[in-house]
Amino acid sequence: MLRRNFLKVGALAAASAVVVPQLSATDFRATKPDTWTAHTVDDAIKALYGAITPIESGVTVGAPKVASNGGAIPVNVTSDIDAKTVAVFQDANPEAAVIVFEMNEGGIINYDIKMKMGASGTITAIVEGKDGKFYKGTKTLEVALGGCEG
Amino acid sequence: MKIKAKLKGDIVKVKALAKHDMTTYNQAEKKTGDRNNANFITHISASVNGKTVFDASTSQFLSKNPIFKFQFKGGAKGDEISMTWVDKKGNTKTDSSKIK
Repeated sequence: MLRRNFLKVGALAAASAVVVPQLSATDFRATKPDTWTAHTVDDAIKALYGAITPIESGVTVGAPKVASNGGAIPVNVTSDIDAKTVAVFQDANPEAAVIVFEMNEGGIINYDIKMKMGASGTITAIVEGKDGKFYKGTKTLEVALGGCEG
Repeated sequence: MKIKAKLKGDIVKVKALAKHDMTTYNQAEKKTGDRNNANFITHISASVNGKTVFDASTSQFLSKNPIFKFQFKGGAKGDEISMTWVDKKGNTKTDSSKIK
């Protein structure tokens, strides 16, 4: 992108900070602000979904058993559930929430992300099914070198 | 942003790398003394032919220069996939690529 155009886009974005190109999407940071400041996984789940009792099956969280670099841990979440949203949390950082995916038509739950963890802990993935039920998968891992202080 | 999209069977597999420092509150406090200098991608989405195919609200705990891999059905070879991120300070970046 040309520098000139880039600056223009930046200025435009600053001028209309609220206008975001995606219209159909839900910004969970705006609609569920408490999720992102919650310190424990349970509180974050409560803030996002309310008081739920997830079924502990149907969701697979993949991550290395021992992560050598806590600054970029590859995490994979898969599930065959027909879902509305997928949320990922962990219990090693100051706040719990990492990412919330909103499913769209044709979407497949097979996400790979890279995340930071300051210490060893457990990654929790919650899948909100279209059937109104919640499903949960977890993965506990060791982090050799914490990645939150950078 | 680097975007690679490949059609395999009827599934489009996408790999995207967003260039962003993803500064956490703790990092910002350590480096600048002010937690409010934290800056990270807060929302990222992808669309094909005007339809959203990927949409995520994100926190500071994604890695620096985060990678997103995702899959979806309903894309064809040659379609343009466009991805946009927004960060905490309101910067946005949009890039696109063709599905191969």
